[in-house]
Amino acid sequence: MRYQNATAYRFLAPYLLIFSIFWLWPIIGSFLISFQATRTVPWRFAPTFNWGRLIGDPAFFNALKNTLLILVIQVPVMITLAIVMAVLLNSPLLKARGLFRFAFFAPVVVGEVAYSAVFRLMFNLDYGIINKLLNSVGLPRIDWFSNVTPAMAVIIIAVTWRWAGYNAIILLAGLQSIPQDVYEAATLDRVSKLKQFFYITLPLLKPIIVFCAVLSIIGTMQLFTEPFLITERGGPGGGTETLGLLLYRQGFRSLNFGYASAIAYTMAGLAIAISLVQLWLTRDPK
Amino acid sequence: MAAVTLKNVVKRFGGFQIIHGADIDVNDGEFVVFVGPSGCGKSTLLRMIAGLEDISGGEIAIGGKVVNDVEPADRGIAMVFQSYALYPHMSVEQNLSFGLRMNGNPKADTERRVKRASEILRIAELMKRRPRQLSGGQRQRVAIGRAIVREPQVFLFDEPLSNLDAELRVQMRVEISRLHKELGVTMIYVTHDQTEAMTLADRIVVLRDGYVEQIGRPLDLYSDPDNQFVAGFVGSPKMNFIKARVLGHSASGVTVELAGGTRLTQPLNGPVPEPGSKVVVGVRPEHFGHAGKGDADLSVTIDVVEHLGGTSFLYTRTAAGDDIVIQRDAAEVPDAPEITVSIRKSYLFDDNGRRLR
Repeated sequence: MRYQNATAYRFLAPYLLIFSIFWLWPIIGSFLISFQATRTVPWRFAPTFNWGRLIGDPAFFNALKNTLLILVIQVPVMITLAIVMAVLLNSPLLKARGLFRFAFFAPVVVGEVAYSAVFRLMFNLDYGIINKLLNSVGLPRIDWFSNVTPAMAVIIIAVTWRWAGYNAIILLAGLQSIPQDVYEAATLDRVSKLKQFFYITLPLLKPIIVFCAVLSIIGTMQLFTEPFLITERGGPGGGTETLGLLLYRQGFRSLNFGYASAIAYTMAGLAIAISLVQLWLTRDPK
Repeated sequence: MAAVTLKNVVKRFGGFQIIHGADIDVNDGEFVVFVGPSGCGKSTLLRMIAGLEDISGGEIAIGGKVVNDVEPADRGIAMVFQSYALYPHMSVEQNLSFGLRMNGNPKADTERRVKRASEILRIAELMKRRPRQLSGGQRQRVAIGRAIVREPQVFLFDEPLSNLDAELRVQMRVEISRLHKELGVTMIYVTHDQTEAMTLADRIVVLRDGYVEQIGRPLDLYSDPDNQFVAGFVGSPKMNFIKARVLGHSASGVTVELAGGTRLTQPLNGPVPEPGSKVVVGVRPEHFGHAGKGDADLSVTIDVVEHLGGTSFLYTRTAAGDDIVIQRDAAEVPDAPEITVSIRKSYLFDDNGRRLR
């Protein structure tokens, strides 16, 4: 038996080696770096240097506030939208279902840079289609990228556009796993379609919804591309700077890896904490 | 309670017709079983009665009222599904009361109905459990309970026992029979299992490929089938069919020759087939006797013997290659590989499977 185990480990060794070097070590290494002062060479061990700075850093709290704001608005909006899309996709009345399914999923496949460029164009002050539409219905045009609130809105809209379809496809799989005869039984019980949705579909879909929500929370906590590319590095004036962006700024522009690592661990910790709270709140009563 | 009447009921899916003008009368309080092989349209017919499938043609009436365009919930029916279709996230109690609660039924009445159903089905101790914490038989009881609380005029069962193991199936069969006696309500029951049909039904409707082959009481179908399909479908092991040829007829009936030379004469009241035409002789396994004690003798070679205790089944073959199953008392199973048996009772079918009487 011991010999067989040894053989198994020998086969696993190449994988474990690569896993340790490129996955395990960075995780441990970055944690250790977060306890070092890295602004000047040589780095030195100073446990409170980065973590102490974190607690009092207005830039960190600004990024944290922005990230949580996006999270609190974007995730519920997107999940709701995804549920609606999934229900529509699942409707027997829908024609060309395959086409819609592809269309909803397509944003995930589109390159991030390309889609960000398109969003910048769409929300351009002078010739963007969004302002043209606003004008055409008599509303004033909005300077999307010069003010914090509209810029934040663009980020939320962009992230929602990009990921709602993806979540809808996951939810659709969940919807299709609900047996049809449960709905037939409810129809015989004179339960309206709307009540069927709230009393049968939603409760049965709950595990999938929670799964999507946790994935989205983790994703939004790490949000980087949109504020980097669409609102030009968290502009205006840091108004859309997220934790991911702050991390990037500290780590790769200021080369302050110790502080960046502390931020990274804070992000991961927050994502885990929020997800756990979410799982706890939506747990099964028994 | 209500009678259910189907008049020339037709179902098409696109250009494909799967029910071809079914005429069925189910009397008030009767237990009728729709039976037939997979794909014969029996479940579709039941779902049409329930209102879960549209009716492409004809008329369905429940309690004298045509319900073609009536919503399923307004037809006075309750249905028990093959998969139970319980609400997985609700307790047994919530499953039973869900429909009533959603429709604003007074709380006291809902509680009364749920209590009554739980007493009838002896599931009172399961009320707080979720469906996944129940065994198959318990789930089936809950599904039936959900039908009972609706207090319907007609119960519809769609293969309710097919997901249960053999022992439980027998037990639930008895329970459903008891339930019918207790409630006295019209019940329509779909199954592919002819044993279930025979044991439960007041009357059986045999379906094949969307056609009603025969309607009748279980023993009438067994002893007086209209055609070769019904004869073969009802009874287990099934009736033996032996190819034969008409030799001629006399005052005592028509004489046929079985492949292998055995001659058999049968009285016939109806039209007599032409001499030389092909026919099929049907003999039930229990209608073979000892040589010389029936209408004709047949020599067979024994392949396999199945001992069931009191009786045994001999799986045999004639010299002409016809497979024949013979029922014998266990004590009378011969040792010799070749035996001669007599045909004590037989049925005659024409080349199209119609019964010749």
